[in-house]
Amino acid sequence: MNFIKKHGQNVCFAVIVLVLALMPLLLTAGVIKSTMVIFLGKCICFAIVAIGLDLIWGYTGILSLGHGLFFALGAYGMGMYLKLQATNGNITDFMKTGGLTELPRIWQAFEPLPMALVLLVLIPALLAGIIGFFIFRNRVKGVYFSIISQALTWAAYSIFIAMSPYTNGNVGITEIDPIVGSIRGAKHIGNLYLLFYAALAIMILIYAVAYFLVKSKFGRLLIAIRDGENRTYFSGYCVSDYKNFIYVLSAIIAAIAGALFVNFNGSITPSQMTISYSITMIIWVAVGGRGTLIGAVIGAFVINLCEYNLSSGAFVDIWQYIIGAIFCITILFFKGGIVGIVTEQLPALLHRRKENS
Amino acid sequence: MNQLWKRLAGITLAGIMTASLAGCGGGSQASAGEDGAVKVGLLHSLTGSMAISETSVRDAEVLAIEEINAAGGVNGCQISYVEEDGASNPSTFATKAEKLIEEDEVATVFGCWTSSSRKAVKSVFEDYGNLLWYPVQYEGMETSENIVYMGAAPNQQIVPAIQYLVDQGYKKFFLLGSDYVFPRTANMIINAQLKAAGCEVVGEEYADMEQTEFSAIISKIEASGCDVIVNTLNGTGNVSFFKQMAEKNYTSEDYMTMSFSIAEEEVKTIGADILKGHMVSWNYYQTTEGEKNDAFVSAYKEKFGEDRVTSDPAEAAYDAVYMWAAACEKAGSFEVEDVLAALDGMSIDAPEGTITFDADNNHIYKPVRVGEIQEDGLIYTVYETNEAVKPDPYLTTYDWAVAADLQPLE
Repeated sequence: MNFIKKHGQNVCFAVIVLVLALMPLLLTAGVIKSTMVIFLGKCICFAIVAIGLDLIWGYTGILSLGHGLFFALGAYGMGMYLKLQATNGNITDFMKTGGLTELPRIWQAFEPLPMALVLLVLIPALLAGIIGFFIFRNRVKGVYFSIISQALTWAAYSIFIAMSPYTNGNVGITEIDPIVGSIRGAKHIGNLYLLFYAALAIMILIYAVAYFLVKSKFGRLLIAIRDGENRTYFSGYCVSDYKNFIYVLSAIIAAIAGALFVNFNGSITPSQMTISYSITMIIWVAVGGRGTLIGAVIGAFVINLCEYNLSSGAFVDIWQYIIGAIFCITILFFKGGIVGIVTEQLPALLHRRKENS
Repeated sequence: MNQLWKRLAGITLAGIMTASLAGCGGGSQASAGEDGAVKVGLLHSLTGSMAISETSVRDAEVLAIEEINAAGGVNGCQISYVEEDGASNPSTFATKAEKLIEEDEVATVFGCWTSSSRKAVKSVFEDYGNLLWYPVQYEGMETSENIVYMGAAPNQQIVPAIQYLVDQGYKKFFLLGSDYVFPRTANMIINAQLKAAGCEVVGEEYADMEQTEFSAIISKIEASGCDVIVNTLNGTGNVSFFKQMAEKNYTSEDYMTMSFSIAEEEVKTIGADILKGHMVSWNYYQTTEGEKNDAFVSAYKEKFGEDRVTSDPAEAAYDAVYMWAAACEKAGSFEVEDVLAALDGMSIDAPEGTITFDADNNHIYKPVRVGEIQEDGLIYTVYETNEAVKPDPYLTTYDWAVAADLQPLE
């Protein structure tokens, strides 16, 4: 019992990983279809973003409503590399339509794979670092930070639409094959397994890093900042540096998730960097249970699986109300999300019942 | 905690299994004459910003399916349909396209509206070898073995409309559009065409998709001295633009507009009093004459309400279902290759007139109609091509387009 209490999170994460790892076997056995594996691959990417968001929101108490931006920046970086693979380094149709005659510098930078991989992490990290530096140095916090993060996302979205010769506007980068080669159809199933297990490995790695962080002294400092920022200041810690670090880290995690996502999705559009999409990410963390890494992972999977299955057939016109209702009920009655229900509300209920009888 | 997860996983797995087992005579396995149903997918945005447009297209597809079922179905099978919501998000479209093809095993999919959603699903349909019926006019420069383009290519909407304006004696053109791929490509084509015709483009402006403030653009229009505005605004931008023009008391007599994204549905939203006298270009209007159209309009109104109007995209979507059914009948099969083979040169009588499949590029021969909006909110044809125009998505048969090197690279 004690073991479960102490390591419940990790046990649960291990179970999730195990279930996911079994999916390709189920596919081979014909129980599920390859699209389910592709979809779960996308869910893994969402779970990775959720872990990053949980670090900054759940642990540090900074509500960022603009993580779609970092997700999309990572995805665009990978998308640019993959698109150049598809065109053999030549300029694309949309550049030509936009009046460009040769490949822009920024695109050239993404042609070699190592460079692309570095840049797709570095650009979001730098952006978050610079913004974070000014915001946290000036002690902008709470709802003001949320508003700024939102405005930033909106601005980036507008820029991406307006720079259509470079970004292809709201069509985005399409018709690209994943880094491992096509994953669609029976003859490419090997590629799909490779990509899926790679994504799973990255999720485990990021979970481990995040787990290590939050269990360390650094993690307790984050919680201290969340629960009593001024006290932490007075204890002599440079709160703004810690905040900035965690902001950059979560931006990097989001960018990695975006880069993985574009491999599964085969396209990336600015709709992934909208405010509403960024808020959807917050919903994953809130429903799963913020302040616990496992909650973020569970939330990302549960909400996306719900959306996937509800937004067709009988509920096709009303599924958004259902998701909305789940979110409202969580916020009103179950602040701890799914994890909170299992670890606090259920035991409390059982305890009360025991006392009554 | 893990029990909860296990249960969740169990529920999901069970759901998936029932979903995959439920396919009765699923698409690729179904053969002619077999009892039961053939499944098709309907993939449109039913939530989000595109829902208002795409719902009417979905409705037209449902109407066609029900009519065909009432008349005995296809190859002896009733058509059943699976609806998926693309949620106005191209990535969701891609996910849902994969789901329809693999899990629901649909024979074909009718869907999409925006170019971004079509581009996002294009490679999905190509990789899985399924077939998408795309019902909306678009910017061209694309062909795919796995998409049937039921809407107009640029040479079936934009090029004839501009030619009509040139013939009417308009000289100075102002190009106004939303900032995305269709207006950008359309204006690239229009620029080349006008240059060859010896006309002048006196201004080219793009508005954000969500833009509602047009006073800056209107003053640029005033300063440009144009005599016609070519309008490729889409969505809410149209409402704001025309209302703000009306607030300045500009009518079609001051500034004539030619719009490519305003159909009956949009006229209803913007207001017929504001749009009175302005021109649009499509292949079909609710007022198009013919028995087929009378039947279509009355069936549509009877099913969805007297106040509903039919429009070009809805009609194209309605035709798509009929054309697919006719091809399946001819092929005696639901397999994509057989259907495509049967489509070669196939004609059907549609509300817009006789339309023919062009196997060269998977587009449709369509009549072109320039229309004028009138006070009753309907659009009346003022100019019509004598016969259906051959689709030419890459504009290879136009000397000015070839000279301007508009063709894409790949």
